Amino acid sequence: MDRNTEHGWIYTGARVDWNWQRVAFLGNMVDAFRLHIMQTKELGMCPVRQIGGCSFFYMRISNVYIVIVVSSNANVACAFKFVVEAVNLFKSYFGGAFDEDAIRNNFVLIYELLDEIMDFGYPQNLSPEILKLYITQEGVRSPFSSKPTDKPVPNATLQVTGAVGWRREGLVYKKNEVFLDIVESVNLLMSSKGSILRCDVTGKVLMKCFLSGMPDLKLGLNDKIGLEKESEIKSRPTKSGKTIELDDVTFHQCVNLTRFNSEKTVSFVPPDGEFELMKYRITEGVNLPFRVLPTIKELGRTRMEVNVKVKSVFGAKMFALGVVIKVPVPKQTAKTSVQVTSGRAKYNASMDCLMWKIRKFPGQTESTLSAEVELISTIAEKKSWTRPPIQMEFQVPMFTASGLRVRFLKVWERSGYNTVEWVRYITKAGSYEIRC
Amino acid sequence: MVPPAQSQRSPSPSQPSGKGEVSDLKMQLRQLAGSRAPGTDDSKRDLFKKVISYMTIGIDVSSVFSEMVMCSATSDIVLKKMCYLYVGNYAKYNPDLALLTINFLQRDCKDEDPMIRGLALRSLGSLRVPNLVEYLVGPLGAGLKDGNSYVRMVAAVGVLKLYHISASTCFDADFPALLKHLLLNDPDAQVVANCLSALQEIWGQEASSSEEAAREREALISKPIIYYLLNRIKEFSEWAQCTVLELVSKYAPPDSNEIFDIMNLLEDRLQHANGAVVLATIKLFLQLTLSMTDVHQQVYERIKAPLLTLVSSGSPEQSYAVLSHLHLLVMRAPMLFASDYKHLYCQYNEPFYVKKLKLEMLTAVANESNTYEIVTELCEYAANVDIPIARESIRAVGKIALEQYDVNAIVDRLLQFLEMEKDYVTAETLVLVKDLLRKYPQWSHDCIAVIGNISSNNVQEPKAKAALIWMLGEYAQDMQDAPYALEGLIDDWEDETSPEVRLHLLTAVMKCFFRRPPETQKALGSALAAGLADMHQDVHDRALFYYRLLQHNISVANSVVNPTKQAVSVFADTQSSEIKDRIFDEFNSLSVLYQKPCYMFTDKEHQGPFAFSEELGNLSIGVDDQRVEANEEDLLLSTTRKEDSLPQQTQGALLVSLDQNEPAAAHAQQTNSVIDDLFGLGLSSSPSPSSLLKLNAKAVLDPTTFQQKWRQLPVSTSQEGSISPQGVAAMTTPQALVRHMQVHYIHCIASGGQAPNFKLFFFAQKADEPSNFLVECIINTSTSKAHIKIKADDESASQAFSALFQSALSKFGMA
Repeated sequence: MDRNTEHGWIYTGARVDWNWQRVAFLGNMVDAFRLHIMQTKELGMCPVRQIGGCSFFYMRISNVYIVIVVSSNANVACAFKFVVEAVNLFKSYFGGAFDEDAIRNNFVLIYELLDEIMDFGYPQNLSPEILKLYITQEGVRSPFSSKPTDKPVPNATLQVTGAVGWRREGLVYKKNEVFLDIVESVNLLMSSKGSILRCDVTGKVLMKCFLSGMPDLKLGLNDKIGLEKESEIKSRPTKSGKTIELDDVTFHQCVNLTRFNSEKTVSFVPPDGEFELMKYRITEGVNLPFRVLPTIKELGRTRMEVNVKVKSVFGAKMFALGVVIKVPVPKQTAKTSVQVTSGRAKYNASMDCLMWKIRKFPGQTESTLSAEVELISTIAEKKSWTRPPIQMEFQVPMFTASGLRVRFLKVWERSGYNTVEWVRYITKAGSYEIRC
Repeated sequence: MVPPAQSQRSPSPSQPSGKGEVSDLKMQLRQLAGSRAPGTDDSKRDLFKKVISYMTIGIDVSSVFSEMVMCSATSDIVLKKMCYLYVGNYAKYNPDLALLTINFLQRDCKDEDPMIRGLALRSLGSLRVPNLVEYLVGPLGAGLKDGNSYVRMVAAVGVLKLYHISASTCFDADFPALLKHLLLNDPDAQVVANCLSALQEIWGQEASSSEEAAREREALISKPIIYYLLNRIKEFSEWAQCTVLELVSKYAPPDSNEIFDIMNLLEDRLQHANGAVVLATIKLFLQLTLSMTDVHQQVYERIKAPLLTLVSSGSPEQSYAVLSHLHLLVMRAPMLFASDYKHLYCQYNEPFYVKKLKLEMLTAVANESNTYEIVTELCEYAANVDIPIARESIRAVGKIALEQYDVNAIVDRLLQFLEMEKDYVTAETLVLVKDLLRKYPQWSHDCIAVIGNISSNNVQEPKAKAALIWMLGEYAQDMQDAPYALEGLIDDWEDETSPEVRLHLLTAVMKCFFRRPPETQKALGSALAAGLADMHQDVHDRALFYYRLLQHNISVANSVVNPTKQAVSVFADTQSSEIKDRIFDEFNSLSVLYQKPCYMFTDKEHQGPFAFSEELGNLSIGVDDQRVEANEEDLLLSTTRKEDSLPQQTQGALLVSLDQNEPAAAHAQQTNSVIDDLFGLGLSSSPSPSSLLKLNAKAVLDPTTFQQKWRQLPVSTSQEGSISPQGVAAMTTPQALVRHMQVHYIHCIASGGQAPNFKLFFFAQKADEPSNFLVECIINTSTSKAHIKIKADDESASQAFSALFQSALSKFGMA
């Protein structure tokens, strides 16, 4: 970032913005931060640093640094979470983007929001749903009328602190719809001998609700505990079929956790619009969508033969999209000739790898890459090449690596309207690494 | 929030240059001030936005203050907010004009719209003008009783703001009592939360000076209040929940039933989507069960899954914060995490700071059943392209080896590392093999066979070289080439830059001599000759010591150099368990990330005030060094305690026990003073040539006192000094000089600057009386000159001190 973007930094310093004695060196802090963190350009620098008597926590989001400065022993997890939530809030106001331009164009709004979300270093209300009721860019635009406007501004203040903080009353939709996405990312670390060193799935249930009134929702999944509990209650054996054991689950604040713990059902009054209902993690019984079988032969000091076979092991009717396989090659690669049975592959010198891209990869098929790599011979370095792992990216729609399925999604509202429910599944690669 | 207008930064070309635009704005605003034409608000908005944007980029727009105030009569809420923001920023510098704003702010505090009441009240509290606090009391009192929760919420924080401007006004108006009333009765959870935060801060600050405040603070963690808050926990926002949970963690339930009640009530908090809430709950559970070992262990089991989930989700920064906490727990109870080691495997692209934590945890959780897998994994990292990680991994393998599980296999792997023929891998491995041999002498046979094949030409790092030389000396009889390898090294004596290596070389050749005299005699002769001519004091002294020892009695010399050694059983831990407990008590805070308790980085005396460093320009405070020294002291103490059963005779022998590796010269220089002090060896190694003035080795002076004294005292001596060319070469950072001067009992309090200009502040104390010398030393390395200003409590001694300082300075770099 250059100097021009300085005002793009947002300081949500606990107190720093307020306490005047200390404000005097806010300018110094900007300098300190620039000097110690931005100019070092060291990648992988610790996001929590002590400079002078202050601790700087920072995050980089697109081309913006967000810095928190504290002089006390602060709660770091809370501070980072606050920044993440604040950025989400800004994004929802700016229409998705959070970057230098968005900040430049919206700084007055940012001031307004900062004023509301944090007071004197204490977090206040960060829910976009509620804030949008009274922080609008329009404001009140009738200078001559003394009567209150139609906008529900006075009411909004009740909402600011209400018990169901995440939903306002009196919402009306012509068409009542619920969208539910299960998004999983599968992480794999496989040894060069083909054994799985580490493998897990982190999943999210994302929802988008366009529902009138104050609806009650109930979600049933094919997770083990939930099913067992249900069969216990209904005193009949669990239906045969796959059940999934979740290692750990966390829920959005709207979910009634007491009820989850007693009945093991996920019931909630949803916020309006988009939100993350739950997160979970699974380590047992993961279905890996792809198997990768690499063989790399170093023939002498200047030649290598690389063979990579990729098998898709999900259902034949499904397909993966945007498959990218990065096959590492040594730095001193001079020439490559690559053949692939599907997609396209070429040598990427800046990343030292063969970049193999397959737009659409059907299930139950396999694809191979075979390449000859010629190396520049170097005299000094006789040490063997330390191979980074093969890395893979993909998305498989309608597939869950955990096997998790939605069994039902019930919507209940006093007026008894009909709703349309949409459910989607997608599995993405998290860090999918195969050593070779 | 906003860099103040006073900052001197010149605006970049694309930004308006300031002056002209500001006066334009002033004109335009004045025109609009009285206007009531339709559309005025729109033009006002544009102008206000401009003013705010100038303010944001650091242009001083305080000159339009009165115009802004004049324009503030509006019902447009966005305009109002911008105006409040502006006023809040500049009121401090225009206290008279700020008075103008009081009027409209007070009026707005009575507006019918609660939104405006709240905003006005918040802005009123942010004016920060002490003279105006009287105008704040009325609206605050009304705000606390307002019918609307939004206003009460703002008012609660407003009280805290008032307290920081004028504590007495705050108490006179009896606001704390009002806050407490709201805390216990308000239907709105956010109001309750803000009252709680405010009260905690107020009583927390007052507690040290007033007994009543201390009582009030205790009252906050009394059973009724805790239960009241817990029963409402679900009403609170996620942030307020963190505050409440933190408070509850200070509460000590009288019996175990209560503990279980609280835990049952809060168990579902572990499933909260907000990681901060989960961590706060974990802290509470851990604190509650500290006295119940079984339950405490169950808590570990219970929190494992949520912690691992938090680590693997969210942004890298968040997961780092959580990982640090996991690290703390793993270090406390490694066996409970032994089966989860796979979660700690590193991903290829993870940043260094994450990998480092993971490596440490992997090392800690290794036990009989998982050692094989863990070491296999660590060996993968050793081949990593990322050199720091490769080094850390090798050290981790070594640490596991020292922990006794399956040493056999690990030694094989370490030896395989040597075959990788990468310099840094070889270097790290050598150091490890040395430590391993000190603990498991029985492995010497296998190791020595491999070590013997390493050519010393391939080892460059001083530590590794020293380790190799140590092994050559220690196992001279098993290594065919030992005397010749040593001889080769001695031939290159002149080129050897590290005094540590030279010291080791002397000792090793001595050891070798007693084992294989005929082959070594020549080498020993040239080593002693080279050592006696050495510029480094320690090397010279040791050579002389050996020489005289050999002259005195050969067999005594043998018993000094080659005593029967016991294998080291435990290597000193760097952190005392007391410190670890402190950090654990401060769970869920920065302490855990820094891995030190908060007094080490927040207390003024430990930290050095920021204001001070600000005054001195871009200076860093030389506190780090003091802290390092303190740690070393701990280390020394604990080592000596552990090993004082070993026969110790001289200071040299003491150092042997520290590092078992004959004298650890690198430490020697820094720790000499500490050792002298510890063992009452007096000032035997006193660097001062003038015996007239003795300095206190452990002088202490906190930065504030320094600053005061510096202001009060007159300059007693001001001189030009010079620095040797070697000194100039060593002066890459001020720290080098700081360390050097410390050896001479002259302590650094602040240092800074970049080549060629450095500025350092030192202090020293007389040994026998608390009389201080303060020094400002400005060094220009391009001219090799130092400008020294000395101020002294006792002016008569300042000449002597000046001589001492100059002589110390002139020795810099001569080592």
